[in-house]
Amino acid sequence: MRSKFDEQLGLLNRKMIETGAKCERAIAMAATALLEGDTGASERVAPIGQEIDQMEKEIESICLKLLLQQQPVARDLRQISAALKMITDMERIGDQAEDIAEIITYLNGRTGEECHGIRSMAEAAIKMVTDSIDAYVRQDPELAASVSEYDDVVDEGFDRVKRTLIGMIRDNPADGEYAIDLLMIAKYFERIGDHAVNIAEWVEFAVTGVHGGE
Amino acid sequence: MKKRIFRSIIAVAMTVLIAGFVLAVSFLYGYFRDSQVTQLREELAIAALNVNRYGEEYFDGFDSSVFRFTLVAGDGTVLYDTQASAENMENHLDREEIKEAAESGRGSSERYSSTLTERTFYEAVRLENGDILRISASQATVGALIIGMLPGIAAVILAAGAVALILSERMAKKIVSPVNGLDLENPEKNDVYEELAPLLTKISRQHRQISRQMAELKREKDEFDQITQSMSEGMVMLDKRGFVLSINAAAMKLFEVSGSPEGRDFLTVDRSPEMSRAVREAMERKRSEFRGERNGREYQFIISRIDTDGETAGVVILCIDVTETAFAERSRREFTANVSHELKTPLQSIIGSAELLEAGLVKPEDTRRFIGNIRNEAARLVSLINDIIRLSQLDENSGPVPSPETVDLYGLANEVAAELADRAAERDVKVTVSGGPCMMSGVRGYLYEIVYNLCDNAIRYNKAGGSVEINTGFKNGSPVLTVSDTGIGIPPEHQSRVFERFYRVDKSHSKETGGTGLGLSIVKHAVAYHGGTIKLDSEVNKGTAVTVTF
Repeated sequence: MRSKFDEQLGLLNRKMIETGAKCERAIAMAATALLEGDTGASERVAPIGQEIDQMEKEIESICLKLLLQQQPVARDLRQISAALKMITDMERIGDQAEDIAEIITYLNGRTGEECHGIRSMAEAAIKMVTDSIDAYVRQDPELAASVSEYDDVVDEGFDRVKRTLIGMIRDNPADGEYAIDLLMIAKYFERIGDHAVNIAEWVEFAVTGVHGGE
Repeated sequence: MKKRIFRSIIAVAMTVLIAGFVLAVSFLYGYFRDSQVTQLREELAIAALNVNRYGEEYFDGFDSSVFRFTLVAGDGTVLYDTQASAENMENHLDREEIKEAAESGRGSSERYSSTLTERTFYEAVRLENGDILRISASQATVGALIIGMLPGIAAVILAAGAVALILSERMAKKIVSPVNGLDLENPEKNDVYEELAPLLTKISRQHRQISRQMAELKREKDEFDQITQSMSEGMVMLDKRGFVLSINAAAMKLFEVSGSPEGRDFLTVDRSPEMSRAVREAMERKRSEFRGERNGREYQFIISRIDTDGETAGVVILCIDVTETAFAERSRREFTANVSHELKTPLQSIIGSAELLEAGLVKPEDTRRFIGNIRNEAARLVSLINDIIRLSQLDENSGPVPSPETVDLYGLANEVAAELADRAAERDVKVTVSGGPCMMSGVRGYLYEIVYNLCDNAIRYNKAGGSVEINTGFKNGSPVLTVSDTGIGIPPEHQSRVFERFYRVDKSHSKETGGTGLGLSIVKHAVAYHGGTIKLDSEVNKGTAVTVTF
């Protein structure tokens, strides 16, 4: 009975890491597409988003099965409930990567100086997601805590991009739509950072029993 | 074992005790019975004698508490009884002892009382007058005897049991303690029961066998580790669940893991979707491979399934650094594409001009110009092909092996300067040669190519009114050639690539400046042939200096 439980928990762990890796891939692709003005990226990111959705369902069902059939306690219970929460954030990250790729198709391949402002933001967001997944993989609460701190970098980046875009609209009102699309993309990256923080906090909870947000 | 011995001793003790008891009781009981019967007979004989002599009166005042006498007439009627009145008693003729006595003169029998707790012995004898005299006595039966003795028996059994308990406990301990004290590390040094000797010998033999096998295994593992650890290729072995069995140093560096991940899921080492897919594919289809980038280098990952006895045991991941190979492949691909393109361009131009001439569409005064065009393009084609031939010779080290001779770089520089003087003048560039004689051993043709191509480039990518300086000399005992110009320079991002074949900084203006795009590539190969190094210093719009140290 116990070994079956451990096996299931191992499977859950695998699926979580795989989903995390897919999230990393999806945002990395979205960020590259933005810099290269690659309008075809949406078609490549969307399947990954769908895979993440599929993984979310699988992970949820594994979690519920474990909770109902094995009635875990203590650390195991934390691990499973944290996985249930984390997968929601991962799924959102996947969705947002898809959204970014979709907006890029509207930009018609246009890229410029403004995109580079977003690039540093995107890099920070990707680092946060990678670190939060790494924290999960290594069960490292310290790394998880560092993710929360890094969120300020992304927030600052967003403010900077916002100011640049305001200036851009003021100087050249014809670029309004372009600027707003970029703002949306920046906002999505900022949201991805927030989701990474959520994941990191749940990692902290799973390991230490204390939720990082408290 | 101790328990077992203890239990056996107790069981034996109890059995002996009870058996002794039963034997004693039954023996004693038989003995008492026999003596009682004898006593009865004796009493009866005396009584019969007296009754014969004195008649019934003999019994008067007889104490009947021990024996009971009954006088029965020959027809069975009771005449007298010492304990009961004769009138109330029934006819006794059917009693066994009476019947026997009536027939044979003597009879005996024994009967149990209704409660079975008493047994009565009867002895009868026929008197002279035909009457029968009977004597009887009662005795407790065995059952009654035992019941009566029960408290005593119980006490004895308890006492004996207690003693047996203590003794057997001690004995069991004593028997077992040497076995418990066996030194199993050195089985043959024990001196206990000889019954254990074969077992100990066997243990000792297996001991030796196991340690030998362990040593063998350890040696093999060490050997394996040593080989894999010193491999430059990364190698990871996974079991069939995808857990890391072993990982070598190169792979740990490649995947950037700090602690040993052995015993953990490989996903915690590398979680890229390509790797997961490839591992899964290898598990299913025996083999898979893919190329991927890790730490800025390109790796070929080869994953093979390991089967033992027809069952999947795991997979081995081999990581081979193919950065150079991939680069070489790419340049070869580009080279082929470039060569065809470069060869085609002048040919197209030749064909175009020729067609126009053939169709008579060229005015007579232009004919000369068109033919000149064809000649120029053909010459360009020849020089391109010459370059390619030279390059491939350098590449393959084929063709006639050039013999090294002593060459003066300074003289060579002057020769080149003279050769290129016309072209330099055309572009308004001044060429100067400085330094002193610089004798070195090398292949004259190749060295000439080096100086010529560097100088040619310095003139070609120069500005009007610019200058080119060729300097030769020794530095730290090695011959050094420096060609510096005041030209357009090379942007930093292109500097590492200008030595590639057909690589051009400004792709759109290659026609204008001429050149085949192979010059620097030839220089690179020729310098490499002489075991030298090239250093490139360049700043955009300031100029370029190429230093070759042999």
